[in-house]
This record gives sequence, C-alpha cells and structure tokens, in this order.
Amino acid sequence: MALPNQQTVDYPSFKLVIVGDGGTGKTTFVKRHLTGEFEKKYEPTIGVEVHPLDFFTNCGKIRFYCWDTAGQEKFGGLRDGYYIHGQCAIIMFDVTARLTYKNVPTWHRDLCRVCENIPIVLCGNKVDVKNRQVKAKQVTFHRKKNLQYYEISAKSNYNFEKPFLYLARKLAGDGNLHFVESPALAPPEVQIDLAAQALHEQELQQALNQPLPDDDDEAFE
Amino acid sequence: MATTEPKHEHREEEEEAAGADDEDTGAQVAPIVRLEEVAVSTGEENKDPLIDLKAKLYRFDKDGNQWKERGVGTVKLLKHKETGKVRLVMRQSKTLKICANHLVLPMMTVQEHAGNEKSCVWHAPDFADGELKDELFCIRFASIENCKSFMDMFQEVAESQKKEESEDGSTAAGLLEKLSVEDKSEEKAEDKTKEGDGKEEKAEDEDAEKKDEKATV
Repeated sequence: MALPNQQTVDYPSFKLVIVGDGGTGKTTFVKRHLTGEFEKKYEPTIGVEVHPLDFFTNCGKIRFYCWDTAGQEKFGGLRDGYYIHGQCAIIMFDVTARLTYKNVPTWHRDLCRVCENIPIVLCGNKVDVKNRQVKAKQVTFHRKKNLQYYEISAKSNYNFEKPFLYLARKLAGDGNLHFVESPALAPPEVQIDLAAQALHEQELQQALNQPLPDDDDEAFE
Repeated sequence: MATTEPKHEHREEEEEAAGADDEDTGAQVAPIVRLEEVAVSTGEENKDPLIDLKAKLYRFDKDGNQWKERGVGTVKLLKHKETGKVRLVMRQSKTLKICANHLVLPMMTVQEHAGNEKSCVWHAPDFADGELKDELFCIRFASIENCKSFMDMFQEVAESQKKEESEDGSTAAGLLEKLSVEDKSEEKAEDKTKEGDGKEEKAEDEDAEKKDEKATV
C-alpha cells in the first residue's frame, strides 16, 4: 500500500512491514537493495521510513512498499499503527546479539495482532560475522510459529534476495516465480561538451585517490 | 570472447549448499494476487557481448567525497549487431537488476584506480534508473588480468566509436548543430532522434527497444 503522497503503479504492489530490535540491520538491508551501498554507520530509524522496491519476475514487475520501522522503543512512533494493512512481513534479528533473537516472539505477537495470516520471513542477519551468539541450530522459533527462516548478511549479500523471493512466491501462490533480467533500456544519445568533459576529468582525478570502502576484503561473490 | 570465472561460480555453489535449508516452514497462506507468466525482454537481445566478467561496481558520492557500492554481478560490453554501438550493462547477481547502463562514447577514457590494480575508474551518463545521471564509476575485478582486459576492451571500443563518428561526417555535423538544444529527458531525446536526418538506423534501434519494453508490460 502506497502512502498518500506516493505515486501508485500499474503493476502489483504489496505493503511489507519490517520489524525487529534496533541495530539488527533493517535499514541497511533495505538500503542495500535500493542503491547497492552498504551503510556501516548506525543511525536509528525514527518512526518509519517507507521505500518502494521493485523486482522483475517471470510474472512481470512487482513492487514492495517496504515499511522500515524503528527498532528502538524510544523512537517507535506509532508502533503497531504502522502494521495496519500489512500484506507480508520480515522480522529481523542479529545473530551476533542474543537478546535480539529473544525479542523475536514479542515482535511476532504484536505483528500478528494487527496482520492475520500474512506470509512472514524471519531473518537472522550478520551471518558474515565470525563470533555468532545465535547459531543456526538454536533458531527454532520459526518452526513453532510457521515462519520461513533465512540466514542473511546485508554485508556480503548472502541470501539477500531470498526474503523477497519467498514473499513474492507466497503472495502470488506460485512456487516457481523467479527473478528475471530487468530490461536494459536503450540509453538516449548524449553529447558531452568540452567544458563538461574537463569538469569530469577533474572529478575523476580527485576520486582516483579515494580508497574503495571495502578494499580490504578480497572476496566478493 | 565471453570470459567467466569458474572459481567464483564455484564459491557461489558452496554457499548455496551451506544454506540449502530452503525447506518451506512457512504457514499456508492464501495468495492475494494471480500473476500470469510474461515474456521477458532483457534489452540485451541483438547484441554481442565483447566482454562478460564478474565484478563489483561503485559510484562516487561527490557530497561525501567517497566511493559507495552499487552492486556485485556481471559487467558486459554489448555491441549492437546492426548499429555497431557499444553499451556497458552491469547487473546485480541474484536480483538481476541493472546497476549500470550507458553507451561507450568516443571521448570516454578509463583509468586505473590509484590504490588498487584490480580496479579502474571512468565517467559516464548512466541510464540505470531510466533517467540520465552523470556518474563516476569504479569497478573492481577479482584479478589484475580481468581488470586489464576490461580496460583494454573499453578503450578499444571508445577508439573505434571515434573512427565511426569521423567517417560519418554528416551525422557528426548534425549532432553538433543539435548540441545547444539537446535535452536530457528520455522522451525528447527519442523524438529528436526520429526527426533527425540520416539516422534511420538509430531510430530503428530505439523502436526495437520500445517494442521490447512493451512486451514486458
């Protein structure tokens, strides 16, 4: 469901509610999908931030309106008021912080009071970190409450598409739905004048000496 | 000359196996939409890949004076079979979304990144989001060799576009006249393309792309 000031689209869209303790990586996960960047800095979300996120599937384009809610109680805003008309949800915890997993039942209970019978994915984030406090085998809540569980890492992109894929399949009732190449539209012809080119060159020289954010970590998928 | 990196493909498989816990433990919920299979158009049809490599892409954030990640996936240089124009297209792995999409233009140059021999930097009018944005890109490869072959191919393409442009003097002159009124909005640019003389080829190309677009809707 779009916000009043947000443009509606002519393809299927769903309201996705994202909940979980503060600092578990909800905003970073959404941002990773939106722009590709990995935000290291922690700035708690105040109330809620809504971001449209599109995916291309073999059944056409779909959109999730991601309601990225505040995890910290003091910034909670309307709290479960944000859950109304939620059509699917992600509950996130941090596998390096046991308390965030202990609080999962509370998030789940509050969510289910407002949204009945919606597909929910439980995500254990930060699985790239060596010292886990919550091991995969210790995660059992999803079995009791019939949720889907994924171990993810917003940092390494491990399983980062799975929650959305799972939810899309459930919402469409199609277990074979999958992501496909989004169309690479023909870029219009442009002419770059000499002045602009000189400016670009200057910017480039400046950027050349800035290190990459993750230069140290060799491996990427 | 499609080059892939078996090493990385392998890694992905291992990860897949480790996380093979894909059993559905979710509750049965009634679907809320009914979706029909649609024809998929990648926009890469009718184009030959000159290069096809795994890489990580960054864009420069001028305000923050820092590089920011754009995506990890496959970068391709695609040569249009009829027009000979070459496009750089990069897709995010798994979601297959576009991270970069721009023409390789004659005046473009690619330079090695100062701190890392596996990465290089260039400037381009990017169309990844469906609107033109000037971006400064940096791309990092798994090996120095891959970075070198990317840079060589990129530079070779830019050079060849230069030649094509000077050979086709009339087109160049036409474009120069339009320089002052060139608008960056996609629609207008396309309209002008159609009005232009001696540019049938390009118009056809864009028409074809439009048809592709419609097919997906």
